[in-house]
Amino acid sequence: MTKILIVAEIKNGEIKKNTLELFSFAKSQGLESEAVLLGSDVSGQADVLAGQGASTVYIGDDASLEIYNTEQYTSLVIDALQQSQATQVWLTSSEMGRDLTPRVAARQGVGALSDVTQLEINVDEITAFRPCMATKAVQKCEFSKDGLRVISIRSGIFSAEETAPAPANTVTLSIPEGHSQLKVREVQVEESDEVELNEASIIVSAGRGVGGVEGCEFVRPLANELGAAFGASRAVCDAGWLPHKHQVGQTGTMVNPDFYFALGISGAIQHLAGMSGSKVIVAVNKDPDAPIFKVADYGIVGDLFKAVPVLREEVGKLKG
Amino acid sequence: MPDVALNIKVKDGAIVEEGLSYVISSWDETALEAALQITEDVGGEVTLLTIGPDKAAESLRKGLAMGAHKAIHVKYDEAKESDSFAFAKILQKALEGRNYDLILTGKQAQDTDAGLTAPMLAEFISLPQVTNIIRFSDVSEESITLYRKGDHGTEVIDMNLPGIVTVNDSLNEPRLASMRGIMMAKKKPLEEIELDSLDIPAEMRGKQGSMTNVLQFEKPETRKEGQTFEGDEADTVKQAMDLLVSESKFLA
Ligand SMILES: Cc1cc2nc3c(=O)[nH]c(=O)nc-3n(C[C@H](O)[C@H](O)[C@H](O)COP(=O)(O)OP(=O)(O)OC[C@H]3O[C@@H](n4cnc5c(N)ncnc54)[C@H](O)[C@@H]3O)c2cc1C
Repeated sequence: MTKILIVAEIKNGEIKKNTLELFSFAKSQGLESEAVLLGSDVSGQADVLAGQGASTVYIGDDASLEIYNTEQYTSLVIDALQQSQATQVWLTSSEMGRDLTPRVAARQGVGALSDVTQLEINVDEITAFRPCMATKAVQKCEFSKDGLRVISIRSGIFSAEETAPAPANTVTLSIPEGHSQLKVREVQVEESDEVELNEASIIVSAGRGVGGVEGCEFVRPLANELGAAFGASRAVCDAGWLPHKHQVGQTGTMVNPDFYFALGISGAIQHLAGMSGSKVIVAVNKDPDAPIFKVADYGIVGDLFKAVPVLREEVGKLKG
Repeated sequence: MPDVALNIKVKDGAIVEEGLSYVISSWDETALEAALQITEDVGGEVTLLTIGPDKAAESLRKGLAMGAHKAIHVKYDEAKESDSFAFAKILQKALEGRNYDLILTGKQAQDTDAGLTAPMLAEFISLPQVTNIIRFSDVSEESITLYRKGDHGTEVIDMNLPGIVTVNDSLNEPRLASMRGIMMAKKKPLEEIELDSLDIPAEMRGKQGSMTNVLQFEKPETRKEGQTFEGDEADTVKQAMDLLVSESKFLA
């Protein structure tokens, strides 16, 4: 019988929305799901996963799991898999998921499909769609041999359903050694109480057109007033105007919010690949030929330094 | 791989070959640049390794012109039929009996955008992996410190060598080959290896050796034509916002 093991993700002690999306999708397909929950001081979250439908939650809770590391996480997922007899493993295509998905698959001697944006499931026959070539084409894929299905799924594709916690049926995993050849020293956390890019329904992004750090700070209040995540192009992050975690695009975060505001962003393919799935795109750029206008629903040809104050004023009126 | 900066056409479930131009995947160029910087700093040698049809040799020559010391070309005409799993298995074979301290590659290939091969290879040859690095420091013969762009910040990781690293494009700006580099590349060793000599049986090749299969390529959904607003920002922004609210239910 088809059974899905979902690798849960945690931020600041709470289950992330991208994980809830996977559970909601499993439920909508009438599939049985279980969860593997890894981290430090995370056991309390098992009830949230049970509320989402996880029939069993496999827990690895240890101080050594505070920061993601490939070896321990791979061993723990495999341990959970062996106990669960799940036929599929689902992860999100976060930075953790991208690192873990191929390693888990290879250790089980099977292949994987990564960064999937559409999934059709008929028992363990799977048809998956995944963008490729900087989103200039889409691959329709299948698993060609029998065995475990390992799949990573892009955030924001399925909608997450809020559910009440429920008492969880838990299994405690024993904590394996880390890789003897690797030592994770620390995670340098940048400002962290902001709205995360892949959890936001509105994103306001700054491009090189903002001109510098002051330009970023000129735009940021618009994001704050909208309760939006603050994104950026690579040009902005590489210049050090904003930390890398703000980067939207193929090497940043792939996003698909309801509303995306691109301010002073030209619309290079690698940026478009990361945000052209947004429901509505608004662009401000002083160059009428900027490629961003090819994907924008509302394209404002003009100076962002003049447009942002008007945007803020209008938002102020709407918010009353 | 095909240059994805150019137009990509999809027809009858396949990518149209005509008009494609073949280049080194951009993330792999970043990996090569990092390798060159490391050897310039602590000494050593950079070897390029690729699996692919005859035309892949052009990319190897380009990498040699950038400064790599030698290259290995595993000749494989049906490379397109293989998935990441099959590639990782062939790479494992190609690496058997060779010496290396560090394997560097792009975080994903620009054509498949899959990002699976390097960690699979790492697992098959039992090496530690660090993916998506944006910086490195403290390179020695025994170890390297890597800064990985993780989900909640930059993860700082010490890795003993040998190991496998995949790079994010923010790591560096790859150098261009100089005229002198291009001349010198012609004399650098380029080893050609036939798949047969690697003892790779038929069941490891192409579709047979793959665990996943691309049934067909499709065109991505195109966005409907939008509206543009030109003129004084005080007016255009208001017009756009009015429509954003009435048509698209912004902040509704
Ligand atoms: C392998 C690879 C991966 C990459 N990954 C990413 C990625 O993940 N994300 C990403 O963003 N990029 C990525 N890039 C880089 C990408 O190719 C572009 O270089 C980058 O997106 C450009 O950023 P930008 O649009 O801010 O800057 P520019 O291209 O310089 O555009 C600035 C724009 O601002 C406009 N402008 C200037 N002043 C004003 C003003 N006052 N008012 C309004 N408009 C103004 C200009 O008209 C221009 O269009 C990648 C590149 C490679 C090779």
